[in-house]
Formats: sequence, structure tokens, C-alpha cells
Amino acid sequence: MTIQLKDVCYSYPDTPGKRVLNINSWAVAAGEQVFVHGPSGGGKSTLLNLLSGMLQADTGEVSVLGQRLDKISSRQRDRFRADHIGYIFQQFNLIPYLDAMDNIALAHQFAKENLSSSLKDDIKSLLSSFHIAPSDWQKPVANLSIGQQQRIAIARAMINKPELLIADEPTSSLDQDNRDHFMSELMAMVAEHNTTLLFVSHDMSLAKYFNRIDALAEINTAGAGH
Amino acid sequence: MFFRLAAKSLLNRKGSVVLTILAMSVSIFVLLGVEHIRTQTKESFNSTVSGVDLIVGARTGSLNLLLYSVFRIGSPTNNIDWETYQAIADNSRVAWAIPVSLGDSHKGYRVMGTSTDYFKHFSYGNKRQLDFTEGKPFSDLFDVVLGSEVARKLGYSLGDKIVLAHGLGKTSFSLHDDRPFKITGILATTGTPVDQTVHISLQGIEAIHIDWQQGVKMPGSTITTDQLESLALQPKTITAFMLGLNSRMATFRVQRNINNYRKEPLSAILPGVALSELWQMMGLMENTLRLISGLILMAALLGLSAMMLASIREREHEIHLLRVIGASPVFLFLIIEMEALLISLLSILLAVSGLYLSLGLSSDFLAANFSLHMGRSLLSGNKLFFVLLIIGATIIAAALPSFFAYKNARLSR
Repeated sequence: MTIQLKDVCYSYPDTPGKRVLNINSWAVAAGEQVFVHGPSGGGKSTLLNLLSGMLQADTGEVSVLGQRLDKISSRQRDRFRADHIGYIFQQFNLIPYLDAMDNIALAHQFAKENLSSSLKDDIKSLLSSFHIAPSDWQKPVANLSIGQQQRIAIARAMINKPELLIADEPTSSLDQDNRDHFMSELMAMVAEHNTTLLFVSHDMSLAKYFNRIDALAEINTAGAGH
Repeated sequence: MFFRLAAKSLLNRKGSVVLTILAMSVSIFVLLGVEHIRTQTKESFNSTVSGVDLIVGARTGSLNLLLYSVFRIGSPTNNIDWETYQAIADNSRVAWAIPVSLGDSHKGYRVMGTSTDYFKHFSYGNKRQLDFTEGKPFSDLFDVVLGSEVARKLGYSLGDKIVLAHGLGKTSFSLHDDRPFKITGILATTGTPVDQTVHISLQGIEAIHIDWQQGVKMPGSTITTDQLESLALQPKTITAFMLGLNSRMATFRVQRNINNYRKEPLSAILPGVALSELWQMMGLMENTLRLISGLILMAALLGLSAMMLASIREREHEIHLLRVIGASPVFLFLIIEMEALLISLLSILLAVSGLYLSLGLSSDFLAANFSLHMGRSLLSGNKLFFVLLIIGATIIAAALPSFFAYKNARLSR
């Protein structure tokens, strides 16, 4: 299993009485592409932060790629995230003043094997596969279109060849054309690398791309969400 | 990548960063400038005279005597009789004596009447004797030896004739223009007031004043230069004199004897002791200057801290993104520290360059007006310590914003 949650509960420290997540059992197998949908404030981001090790569950077992995240230190979780998990957000995926090359290289910086001699070639190859023109590689990403930025974000998320890719509403700031383009490139990339994809969105029209669809409300039994 | 990220982040905030760098540069410029001038002044004063055991003048304060006799600053209170000078110079404990007669000038540079012993015995710095770049000591009545700066600034060379002025003003209407002096020697640069001095013989001083009364030239003089040279031009008075003793052990005894000299009220001072008194007096001012420059630096560092703190608030998304791709809170702490250090290092570079430039532009002015010869080695000794102190203070000043970045990173979600 890539993801395995058991009796996981979480409340934010500033509102300890208000449980955001309460998951009895939930699992995702290796290579699965899972679409999780749910309304805003349903605990989607909290779930993703628990899976990436940014947050630590109050109780229960959070296992990702066989590693119990609730059993390791914050520093170990940071390293685990860098090595094994790719992440794409709705926006602010890139550091705006760095160019595409540097943004991707920065993600590689924190991974275990960051001494790759062919890093530049890998980045160029990734950018080319996402149809980013070489003339745009050295520009600060703030000067590129939103569609280009989201494609670079996939490249950034994939540079360390993660086993798990988490996408948090990555298409919500894109128009129809860019969204379709983004989705086909993303799905092709995860298929090529046999990456487990956890895609969270409230846009049900995207469900067609996935072989498994889960409603967050069914996973998370906590009444109130974040 | 760490350095690149910090540098590009600063470039992205050019406006506030440039202003912070300017504020820091000005404060570092003031701090290093004050320190440099302070140490160079001390060094310059300390190296002006060496090997002189006692300086003797008319009864006055030791600082006043030191300043007018050695540094050509201020004016003597009275003169000393020639007989007194001779009596003391003939003392068996005295190895050599250099008479000093002041009061005239040439285009703002002071004229010093002395004997040829001056070129033999006067030393500066680490007991370095005076050297000639051209020519030799004066031997004739109207021979003159110039300090290096006088020759350079006024464009004089050997054989040129110059006219001395009565009094010390830069522009004088009382000129000894009937008795011009011929340049026979130019001294090598010493970095002391010697460079700004015009040296003539005591007899030369007497000769140009032979028809003068109360500072005014009497009309109708008929004495020719040839007649003057045949006269025994013994000075009646001199301004001060320097003594070298046969034995250092006798210094205090000779000093006491001179201070108790019955025929004339005299003051004998040890140059080193008088200089120590001067530094003691200047200590309070030095500390005040240091305190002010330290406070200016502190204000600039607080500005840096405030700028960095404001940037943390603007960079919440960036911090979150860095955390998601695996950056630890410690990395974020260090990146803010690195940004602050880059600002500090750039400011130091700018301040030191500015200081070099300022010293280059003002060195002639400082030498001519204050007899201060500024060295260019800005990053030596305690100035290097100050640079390290600034770097240390920057790390401390950046600790608060860095800690905020660290805290934000820990709470990032």
C-alpha cells in the first residue's frame, strides 16, 4: 500500500475541541490514481498535510510508502517528503523570482540524492516534455502564464521521481483549455512513472480521468471540517 | 543553490534592500572612518618624534610645548635666551641638542630655523633618520631645505629661489623679499610635520630679521647680502630645543634641573609622557565618537531587522512552498541569516570602498591642514575586528526575523 490510514484523528492546536479529521480506515494501493472530492472546508488540505508529513496526527497510524509518519521526527518527515512525495497546489507552486530551471533544481536540493551530475539535463528534458520553450527556461516564472507555471509545477513535483504525487486543486486557476492540457500531461506523466496520484478537487468534471473516486465525506467522519 | 536563493530573493526586493544597504554602508563608513582616523592620528603623532629625550621651551604646559615644537600646532608662549640654550646644550649629560626657531612661513608652510644637527640627530617613526631625496643640508646663509610635501605641492626643485614671509599667515604682506633663499635640499617623505616644514639655518632667521622691528621692515636698509654673510649672526633667542642625552637614566635629573633653571623659567618635557597626556585627554572624546558610531550602526541594524521581518510576512507562501518541497525550519532560519549577511557584506564592501575613495580625495587636505598622514590599510588590526563585530551584530540582528521564519515554517500548513 502507498497510503494507509487507521483511526486517524486531527484537531488544530488553536481549536483543540474541534475535530477536523476522523478517519477510521483508508488506503491507496501503489500505482492507483485516486480522485478525492469534497466541499471546501471538508478537511481536504488537512488530510494532504498529514499525508505529506507537514502535520502530525493527534492519534492513529499514518503510513505512507510503508513508513509510519506518526513515528518519525519532524526532520525525518521533511526528508521523507523531499525524497518520496511530489506536491502540486492550486497556486503559489513556484518561487516567483526564480526561473523554471532554478525552481526545479531547488526541489532536487532537499532530496537524498541531490548530487545528480545530469540534473540540468533532467530538468531540460522535463521542461521539454511539458512543452515549455527553451526561451522561457531562464525567465523568472512570475513572467510566465499561469498554464506554463502549472506545467512547470508538475515538472518540479516530478524531478525527484516521487512514488506518491499529491495534487491539491491544481486546475482551479486554469481555463478549460489549459485545464485539459494540464490533466492529460499529468496523467501521462504518472502513468509513465507508475506514480501513485492523489488528486483532490471539488470539480467533479475531472473525475473522468481517474480509475478510483472517493468522497471525502465518506472517508472523514468528523462532522466539522477545516 | 542556498546562496543563489538568498541572492535572488534579495534582488527580488531591490528597493528596500538597496535602502537598507545604503543605511548600513553609511553607518559602517562612520564607524570604520572614526576608528581609522583615531588610530592613524595616534600613529601619526606617535611616529612624529623618536629618539628625543627631552623637549625644552619657555615655561608652559607640556601639551602646548609638544604641539608647537613638534607638530607646528599653536604658538609658543615665549622665547628662550640663546645663552640658556648653550648652557644646557653644553651640559655633560647632553649628547646633542637641536635648536628650533619658529615664527615665519612660506605660502602657509611653517619655517623652522635650526642647526645642521637637526639632519643628523632628529628621527621619526622607529628611529628613522631624515633622508634627502635631492641635495644636501643647508650650508650657506640663504640656503633652504624643504620638506617633501612643500616641494611637491609648490612644484619646487633644487636651485629654485623662494621668499619667506614674516608671521604664520597663508597670505602675508610682510615678505622678506629682499633676501630670497635658494633650495639646496629636499627631504624624503616622512609622514610627519617635517614634510610640511621649510628648514633654514638659525643664522638665516637672524639675517632676514636684521632690519625688522616689531614685525615691520624698517625702510632704508643698506646692508647687502655679502655684508650679512660676513656678520656673526648669533641668534638672541630661540623658540625651543630638543635634547638627546648620553644616558636615559639621566632623563629625570636633567628634566628636573631644567625645570628649576634659575636664570629663566623653562619647561622640559618627555615627548612620550606628553603624548600619553594628550591621549588621556582625548580618551573621552574617542569613546564618545565610538559610542555615537556604534549607535548609528545599531540603528542601521535595527532597520535591517525590521526590513527582514516585514519580508517574512510577505513571504508566507514561499515559506510554505519551501517546506512542502522538503526544506526544514532550520534551512529557513539560515536562509534569512544568509540574506542579512549578504546585505551586511555588501554594505561593508561599499563602506570600505567609500572610505578608500574619501581618504584618497582628502589625504592632501588632512596632511596640509591637520598634519595627519592617513594610511590606506583600512582592514588591519582593530578595524578587522570591527568588521567581524559588524558581521556578528548582523547575525544577532537577523536572529529575530530568522526565528519568525523558523516559527512560520514549523506552523506552515
